[in-house]
Amino acid sequence: MKHQPDGKTVAILTDVTKCIGCRDCVVACKQTYNLDKDVPRRWSNDDGLSSRNWTSIIERENNTFVRKQCRHCLEPACVAACPVGALQISDEGPVIYDSKKCMGCRYCMLVCPYGIPRYDWDLAVPFVRKCIMCFPRLQEGKQPACTEACPVEATIFGTRDELLAEAHRRIKAEPDKYINKVWGEDEIGGSRVLYISNVDLSFLTYGKNYDNKSVPSLARPAMNAVLPTFATMAGTMAGVGWIINRRMKNMQTDELEENQDNSSSAVSSDEGDSNNG
Amino acid sequence: MDRVHRLKSVLWTIIGIAAAVGMTRYIFGLGATTNLTDRVPWGLWIGFDVMGGVALAAGGFVVTAIYYIFRREELHPIVKPAVLTAFLGYLAVAFGLLFDLGLPWNIWHMIIFWNPHSPLFEVGWCVMLYLAVLLLEFSPVPLESFSAWAKIRSFLIKWKLVLVILGISLSTLHQSSLGSLFLLTPYKLHPFWYTPILPILFFISAVYLGLMMASWESLFTTHVYRREKETSLIAHLVGAARWVILLYVIVRFGDLFVRGQLGSLAEINYYTVMFGLEITIVAIVPFILTMIPKVRDSNPGQWFIASFGVFGVVFNRTVTGGLAHLVQDGASRYIPAWTEFIVSAGVVSFMAILFLFFVEHFKVWEQRAADPSVDPEKLPEFDKASNASIGTPLLAGWTKNSLIFISAAAVGLMFMSGKKVASQGIDSTPVSQARGCEVLMVDGNLDGYGVKFPHAEHITRIGSEPEKCTVCHHMNLPGDSQTECSNCHSEMYQSVDAFRHDWHASSDGANISCFKCHDKGKPKDVDSAVECSECHQDLIPAGATIKVDQYNAPGYVDALHIACIRCHETYIDTVANRKIDECSSCHKGAITPENKKFAEIVMTKVKAGKFQITPEIKKDRE
Repeated sequence: MKHQPDGKTVAILTDVTKCIGCRDCVVACKQTYNLDKDVPRRWSNDDGLSSRNWTSIIERENNTFVRKQCRHCLEPACVAACPVGALQISDEGPVIYDSKKCMGCRYCMLVCPYGIPRYDWDLAVPFVRKCIMCFPRLQEGKQPACTEACPVEATIFGTRDELLAEAHRRIKAEPDKYINKVWGEDEIGGSRVLYISNVDLSFLTYGKNYDNKSVPSLARPAMNAVLPTFATMAGTMAGVGWIINRRMKNMQTDELEENQDNSSSAVSSDEGDSNNG
Repeated sequence: MDRVHRLKSVLWTIIGIAAAVGMTRYIFGLGATTNLTDRVPWGLWIGFDVMGGVALAAGGFVVTAIYYIFRREELHPIVKPAVLTAFLGYLAVAFGLLFDLGLPWNIWHMIIFWNPHSPLFEVGWCVMLYLAVLLLEFSPVPLESFSAWAKIRSFLIKWKLVLVILGISLSTLHQSSLGSLFLLTPYKLHPFWYTPILPILFFISAVYLGLMMASWESLFTTHVYRREKETSLIAHLVGAARWVILLYVIVRFGDLFVRGQLGSLAEINYYTVMFGLEITIVAIVPFILTMIPKVRDSNPGQWFIASFGVFGVVFNRTVTGGLAHLVQDGASRYIPAWTEFIVSAGVVSFMAILFLFFVEHFKVWEQRAADPSVDPEKLPEFDKASNASIGTPLLAGWTKNSLIFISAAAVGLMFMSGKKVASQGIDSTPVSQARGCEVLMVDGNLDGYGVKFPHAEHITRIGSEPEKCTVCHHMNLPGDSQTECSNCHSEMYQSVDAFRHDWHASSDGANISCFKCHDKGKPKDVDSAVECSECHQDLIPAGATIKVDQYNAPGYVDALHIACIRCHETYIDTVANRKIDECSSCHKGAITPENKKFAEIVMTKVKAGKFQITPEIKKDRE
């Protein structure tokens, strides 16, 4: 894959202090993808996202509105998790979904640190649904529908470098207004959807202490050990099997010759090994 | 054989009900048959069927390793059944996945679409390969009955050791990789369970479970078929298992210590209870019991030890797979639906039926388990009431089990909840007792729009006595769960009679003369009228700016929807004691030119059908 370098990749910056909560972005998203009417379901989360709502506005204290959408991580957990590669990072940057490959295991939903992917629980042919950062529109040279629709430029589109610079510029210009942090810059490996805010946004994740390690990097040691483990186990088993086989053959000939029971040595080697598996 | 027949009846009943649920699942989707949510995408079908199924099949690689590699000949009687169980266990995994996967017809996609970075990809491939290996490992047993296949059979037996080594290596990989699956969920899995060495812990417990499962299976089949008990062999197996579990406990607690989690075990909460329960079942009870020679060597004692061991590890898998996942504030915990339990039970029962089929028809044990139904000496049976022939015992058995299966499926369909199957909106909740949730998401006006509904707050306001619940939960139309919000909060939706001219003029109403309000000698219109507050001093505070130029004023919701953000930003929250049915509680003070200009811009936009904040408005706002 010929991904854009991280700095040049597309990104969205949402300035929480600017959002007026008009939900034009939600409407634009639904119109672009012809998403069905949404009714509250037993399985929906109270953040407004669903298989028919790919972005939503969350109301917080003091008339603060936070737009929730897929974060399009630089190292996405969902892409690493998907066993059939239905979730991919596109060349342009957005994390996109290929419904033709998907087999519906929902591992992506389990591993997403932001809890973004949603499922068509009510359909007999269900798919995983999430924001794709208007990948088809980007290919046409347009910007995502949500950023285009925003009446107050609270959410803007650009390259990641530009937007990071803009975010830091805004924080520097009005340090009293913002919390001095760009959400999505570093944590969990960094993301393409960035936030600056006057309220704490840790509720967008599971409210836990996040470090900057990306999720896929946590499983990497175990995954790298797979082939060595296989070779070691096969080799050990073949070796041990061969040794014990040979010893037992010798013993049998000994037994024939001396006709005496000599099996205690085999027993002791056995117990040690069965513990190791 | 009575025990076998009774067992088969029970198994077919379960399979029948599960078939009904399975059908519903394929027609109406996962939402209709599971309690899974967007927060909890994996439930019992993964936690038990897949994680548990793979773990239960661990007997295959552990027993073959001990028998073929370490050459412990005394295990001979249980090798074939262990391989058979392993094969069926993996078949159960594949079978269970057909229910759990959203798009089960794409289950083969992993063969052509590769993502080697995914732990699930690795598990999937190992399971596929190991299933093939197990098939080859076991097939000499059924092939024995077909002389035409003798060459292939002898070829397979010749290469058995290679298959065994391949099987052990593949098992090592995916038993541990099941743990690796959860390395990707650092923020969901509770720290008692989340550790970088999850794969190692899973592997050790799989070896333990392999020994326990082989014992349990021997105990079970010797009981059902009244075969000779293999007590001393089982004593050996559980004896070995206790050292494995000791190793597991040492590693587990060592890991907790290294990660500094040992201290948090002292608190009592959901997770510590789960942890304690798990360790007690999987390790402490079986370990103590195996340390007592009297218990270890007795048949009932072995039943206890093996059952605890098997259940303990399956419990561990289920807990890691879902029960120990952290729950966000306000979210309810996932509890599997009965439909999920019955499908899991159905998959296991189906595999049990297959197991019985194999041991009855092929030489899985030294002696084929003799089913009296296939005994040619037996005479046909007759129905006791009608005296009609119901065929030979074999045919009678088939008839009976078919009847059980179909009746059970019918009963299963009967119990499917129509509401849940239809998946329409929020499911009804029992009203026997208010659940006391802080905030519910309800479709309050049945118009397809969800709103946040502070349920607890309403309870405090209305009262929590059962009869108070009926204020909302009684006079409903069929299919409703609650009375519409607008039933009580009517003032928010109704347009307001700003000024009832008819009533003021009517002799049945206020009965006041025209000239009380309108100046004599002028046209009787708005301009010639006096301010409302001239009379209504109590209703309209001094300085209110209500000018009656139309009889009908928009309701609260409509008024806010016209100019929402402007009011929100500048005004509405600053008004103390605002009453939503009293316009003047907000509309007081002088109309400033800015206000008026803003209102005009907004109103033109509203009339044009599209309300957008233009640069003009933006400028005005700044």
